[in-house]
Amino acid sequence: MIRLVPVMVLVGILLMIGLLFSAAPGVAAPVAQQPPSEQNESLRDEYCLSCHANPGQTYTLPDGSELDLYVDPQEHANSIHGSQGYACVQCHTDVGEYPHPPLQAVDRRDLTLQLNGSCKFCHANEHSKAMDSVHAKALEAGNRDAAVCTDCHTAHAVQDWVDETTGETLPEARTQIPQTCAKCHSEIHDKYAESVHGSALTEENNPDVPTCIDCHGVHNIEDPTTNQFRLSSPEMCANCHTDPARMAKYGISTDVLDTYVADFHGTTVQIFEKQSPDAETNKPVCYDCHGIHDIAASDDPEKGLKVKENLLVTCQKCHPDARDNFPTSWLSHYIPSPDKYPLVYYVNLFYLLLIPVVLGGMFVLVAMDFTRSAINRNQERKLAKKLKQQAAEEESLSEPTRADENTRSENSSLDEREEPAIQQPGEEEGND
Amino acid sequence: MSAEMEKAALQKPAIQTHRIFQRFTTGQRWEHLLLLISFSVLLLTGLPQKYRTSTWSQQILSTPERVDLIQTIHHVAAVVLIIEVIYHLGLAIYLMAKRKLPGDIFITWQDIKDAGMMVAYLLFLKKEKPVFGKYTFEEKLTYWFLFFGVGIMVVSGVILWFPELITRVLPGGVIPAAKLAHSTEAIVAGIFIVLWHFYHVHLQRLNLSIFSGTISEDDLKTYHTLEYEQLTGEKIMTSENKQS
Repeated sequence: MIRLVPVMVLVGILLMIGLLFSAAPGVAAPVAQQPPSEQNESLRDEYCLSCHANPGQTYTLPDGSELDLYVDPQEHANSIHGSQGYACVQCHTDVGEYPHPPLQAVDRRDLTLQLNGSCKFCHANEHSKAMDSVHAKALEAGNRDAAVCTDCHTAHAVQDWVDETTGETLPEARTQIPQTCAKCHSEIHDKYAESVHGSALTEENNPDVPTCIDCHGVHNIEDPTTNQFRLSSPEMCANCHTDPARMAKYGISTDVLDTYVADFHGTTVQIFEKQSPDAETNKPVCYDCHGIHDIAASDDPEKGLKVKENLLVTCQKCHPDARDNFPTSWLSHYIPSPDKYPLVYYVNLFYLLLIPVVLGGMFVLVAMDFTRSAINRNQERKLAKKLKQQAAEEESLSEPTRADENTRSENSSLDEREEPAIQQPGEEEGND
Repeated sequence: MSAEMEKAALQKPAIQTHRIFQRFTTGQRWEHLLLLISFSVLLLTGLPQKYRTSTWSQQILSTPERVDLIQTIHHVAAVVLIIEVIYHLGLAIYLMAKRKLPGDIFITWQDIKDAGMMVAYLLFLKKEKPVFGKYTFEEKLTYWFLFFGVGIMVVSGVILWFPELITRVLPGGVIPAAKLAHSTEAIVAGIFIVLWHFYHVHLQRLNLSIFSGTISEDDLKTYHTLEYEQLTGEKIMTSENKQS
């Protein structure tokens, strides 16, 4: 018992040293996170809000429009930035001390576009992706209304839309995405909202249907009117439509891409996608028949392609001479069977039998003929050799009996080939 | 020495006469040439369309312009083949109406027996090959296999060329069925030509009668014994003749 005391003291000392070291970074962290507030009074949010939390203040921009200077403190506090303690001045970097220097912007949109550059300080990856987007290109081309970061994310009420651990869009964010895009693309949104995908999203918050970004991308949103987008679009649809886990829930076939590629249209589209992705083709892709944003369920009475009349109208877009029977010339993503497209099924069966039986039989006959001819030739050669040897022996034995040899060779048809045929072309023509 | 040679020369004639016989008419030779060219072009332009999932095919069909070009060549060759088929059938009908159509090419019961005897010969059950008339059973098989093959190709090809018109009369299902038949029959015909036809006219023996139009007396005697007998009135001793 007495011996234990020094041991316990030692353990106690070690533990305290350990605690000191382990606690050190933990204590340092909050200090590092909010350096501006520690360093300079004017960099604290409270300092900004002492003016900007008061409603009713405005600033007159050079174009005469009034800029509202009010910031709702609660809105910012609830945003992802506010809740994580990011300060006003981390985005508003050029405001300086009070009184602020005059704004450089000529109008409200100009100010937004200027401030948009602040996002890249923290979100460099997303910002550079957005710079490649169709929006950035439109902006560059002079369309000042083209969306920038804050048009989708807002300035002071930025919400967290992504699950940090999985990288997936959060379920509550999914319903907000179409509404966000609808701020500019309202007509397209209305079509989407009524489509099989959009209605499932708004009515039941279905986790399987695509929102805008699942097809168009998030920050590097591609121009969907290019040939390249068109030719690669079947793969885009196939991302979900060939996923058995997702499709099984709704009883939708996962053969849609394979059957599309196997049939008239898809074959060519797939070649061009690989070989000349910029090519313009009149061959339809998924959305040429199924609709772009107004995609309907296949059994929808008004637009569904399982309804023959609807399918005919769709075919006639490219095949104006098509009549009633024409739509069934497309296999409608079915794999032929005795029930579906029996004619195709039985033609296939016919060739499955014909090829091995007839061509196989011919191959056997040819192989047998080849073998027998080779054996025959071999025997003839041997026989001829033997006869020659015999003749030579006989000749050496009895020189003068040449006539005998001649008579023998006439009888032997085999020897005929050994004799050089005398070619008389003139004679031949004469005979003819 | 010289006396002996003279003696031998007297016993054996120094000049061998070599007769040749007509086998094909000029029209038939032209028909074969047209068939050969159109068939080859159709096969060459059709194969990339059939094997479009393979890399070599995709390199050929890489742009819409190339796909259009290859399809146009295919269609032109198809028209040539169709004209040839119409001429061939028209001539046959005309000759039939004048009761001048030679019946040699039609398959008879004798051909079935010949095929049986040939198999027996190939299995070493018989010592001699059967004897044939103007066309051997193998040649008749070549003709009729391609006759129906080309028929399938022309019918299915026209169906694929004008799907909108065809489906005004026929059900839509004939289009995918024609597509399958067209692409499979093409392969069957291609394999058939290489395996069966090329073997018999190139490998077994080089037979250029369809290009020259003629056949030598020896070949006629050996391969078309019955025709030779019919043409010359001579009887050739074969093992079968001996037996009967």
